[in-house]
Amino acid sequence: MSRILEAKSGSTVVLMGNEAIVRGALEAHLSVATTYPGTPASEIGDTFAKVAGKAGIYFEYSTNEKVATEVAIGAAASGLRAMVSMKHVGVNVASDPLMTFAYTGTRGGFVLVTADDPSCHSSQNEQDNRFYALFGGFPLFEPSSPQECYDMAKKAFEVSEELGQPVMLRTTTRVAHVRGPVRVGEISVGPRKKEFVKEPTRFVTVPAVAKARHLILLENLSKAERLAEESEFNTVLKVNGGGKRGIITSSAAANYAVDAAKDLGLRVDLLKLGFSNPMPSKKVAEFLRSHDAVVVAEELEPVLEMQVRSLAQREGLSTKVFGKLDGYLPRVHEFDQAVVTSGFARAFSVQLDTPGRCELPQDLPTRPPVLCAGCPHSATYYAVNKATNKKALFASDIGCYTLGVAPPYSCADLLVCMGSSVGTAGGLSKVNDLPVIAFIGDSTFFHSGIPGLINAVHQGHRFLLMVLDNRTTAMTGHQPHPGSPRDPNNPAAIMLSIEDVVRGCGVKWVKVLDPYDTSATVEAVKEALAQDSVSVIIARRECALIAKRDEKGAIIRKHFVDQEVCKKCRTCVTKFQCPAISSIDKLQTIDPSLCAGCGVCAQVCPYKAIKEVE
Amino acid sequence: MVDVYLVGVGGQGIITAARIIGDAAILAGEKVLLSETHGMAQRGGSVICTARIGDRAGPLVPDMSADVILSLELLETLRAACKASKDTVVLSSTERLVPLSVSTQKMRYPSQQEVADKMSSLAKAVVMVDAAGLAAQAGSPISSNVVMVGALAGSGAAGIDTDRFEEAVKANIPRRLDENLKAFALGVEAGKAAKA
Repeated sequence: MSRILEAKSGSTVVLMGNEAIVRGALEAHLSVATTYPGTPASEIGDTFAKVAGKAGIYFEYSTNEKVATEVAIGAAASGLRAMVSMKHVGVNVASDPLMTFAYTGTRGGFVLVTADDPSCHSSQNEQDNRFYALFGGFPLFEPSSPQECYDMAKKAFEVSEELGQPVMLRTTTRVAHVRGPVRVGEISVGPRKKEFVKEPTRFVTVPAVAKARHLILLENLSKAERLAEESEFNTVLKVNGGGKRGIITSSAAANYAVDAAKDLGLRVDLLKLGFSNPMPSKKVAEFLRSHDAVVVAEELEPVLEMQVRSLAQREGLSTKVFGKLDGYLPRVHEFDQAVVTSGFARAFSVQLDTPGRCELPQDLPTRPPVLCAGCPHSATYYAVNKATNKKALFASDIGCYTLGVAPPYSCADLLVCMGSSVGTAGGLSKVNDLPVIAFIGDSTFFHSGIPGLINAVHQGHRFLLMVLDNRTTAMTGHQPHPGSPRDPNNPAAIMLSIEDVVRGCGVKWVKVLDPYDTSATVEAVKEALAQDSVSVIIARRECALIAKRDEKGAIIRKHFVDQEVCKKCRTCVTKFQCPAISSIDKLQTIDPSLCAGCGVCAQVCPYKAIKEVE
Repeated sequence: MVDVYLVGVGGQGIITAARIIGDAAILAGEKVLLSETHGMAQRGGSVICTARIGDRAGPLVPDMSADVILSLELLETLRAACKASKDTVVLSSTERLVPLSVSTQKMRYPSQQEVADKMSSLAKAVVMVDAAGLAAQAGSPISSNVVMVGALAGSGAAGIDTDRFEEAVKANIPRRLDENLKAFALGVEAGKAAKA
């Protein structure tokens, strides 16, 4: 990470797209950066966290994306440059302030980074956040490489300040998580202080102000379109000399389009839109006019295509347009070169030599992500299944613990978004007779679990909420949250007690326990489910990866299977799951290099065959 | 243009291996693009990285077009079979990390011979490297990723000088450098078999 700050002006360094965004922002007079972690955006915040102190900017991991956005708005409305970054679904959480901030506009440059995830590599949906740019009225930049991430991050601040509007920078997984060469410039951060000049007729959106500001937003978007017409990021590339056929593309799809056109030997002109909202309609109309047939190649939704088709109608153009709406390219999942190649071949009637299909060997053992050796969630799920005999409904949430959906635990029946376990448990409990258990992580609880809990208390819902408190935001890379014992970025951070918050919400039955103690957990779950109101168990045990990292040299109580005692019942793999335990040909063994020493398996074994190494 | 398709299991240092290759390419004056696919974090799942050296825009390696498959784990080598063609060099660690599905769903982990046979039927050359053993011999058992980067350098399949790779190892592995350089050198020797 040090290369972010150390890379000298004029040098070329290999950076990840997310890192390149940070470097660009640090060269663009940034003062404040905020985030809530989420893949594939997490490295933006993590990089800021590492360099903020040295660079002299303010950075925070906020409680959720809405709060992160609001903190950045406070700074930008004061006149300083601010960046807020999040994954695509985070923008749903942040959309409330964003939609109206587009009306007030901004004084200091404001850049929202949204990282979309086509193919749902690590997400619950693959929504296309370019619609937010159209919906809210945000000028939009879509980089396709680390160099463009850097260039566009810088440009986005300039455009934002020139227009007085918040600007959106949208990456996807194959842009954010790609590493490539970036030529960097001089770091130049903004000031730490700026006095807010009061202007309620702009910044206080009572109805009269909002009505007036909506007109100004539209005027500013017209100005933005003029900037897009002239933008160096909206250019035509001639592939194989160019020709009368064209491609309109953006973001990661532009990369596959270039490679596909080159490899197919297509003589085409490729209009790449890096500053894609507002769409530069003069430039696009001219491109349509000067080509006979145009393919619109973009991942996910036909955002450009719909605008291109409507523009062609408005301009009375008869250029043939191909895209998703007529089935030449798919509307789901990420593209690759093969997908784009086949679309181009069909649209432009090119014969493809189809190579033989590759046959992957059948029945390869799968290797999905699993809960780690020593993971406290594993112990919790084992105990919950033992207490309920699996006769319960499980509302799950977003985090490592979602992996509990897999056997042997099968502890997830309903999951939609961050914080949803608490609200959905309330609905489930109203219409079902089975007991209902909601699982939520500590970071997710602070993010958006609290309003659901207040509702449950107030409405008299009856379910058990288990806060799986591993003291960190584990899934996205161990970022701190309001309940974490430490925040390396902010030593003065005040740690909030989850049990105090839960009691403050009005919950009467609250228990804090160590999930490594399985019998205590089983008893607590039974007792909690006997309550006639909402009950809360806080299963508290530090993430095993952090424990391993922080306690180097500490004695780990490794365990082994005593084969003389083992009855080969396989309970340790059918009721429990640990990467250190394997069971091959009825021989159960524990890999000492993986064993984290939690001792839960020793409690799981009905014959006491799992013992501590002397 | 050389496409390297790297596979392994979360925690094996595959992303570091990709970064070393990326830096070596830059040191050699080449363009390079690296990508990583690791799904829900590094919780023991399959991890894929790509390193595309040369003038490419897209980071992903299409099926049947990898120039090199560099694998840190035996089963993952087999899972990468669809990226191989008659021009592919396969450099595979013989290390076995048995996934839970073998225990819980009674799936069968393939033998080293089966993996070698299948890959040989698809690729130009297959070199099996005892990366874990060589790393231990070098005094840093966790450095099998560096051994395999060495094997890539030694194979000559990336079209980049071994010295550039060594410089890149130094830039990316700050700790236990001597042991890692030894691991790299042992890998270089092992990789030379691909030229035979």
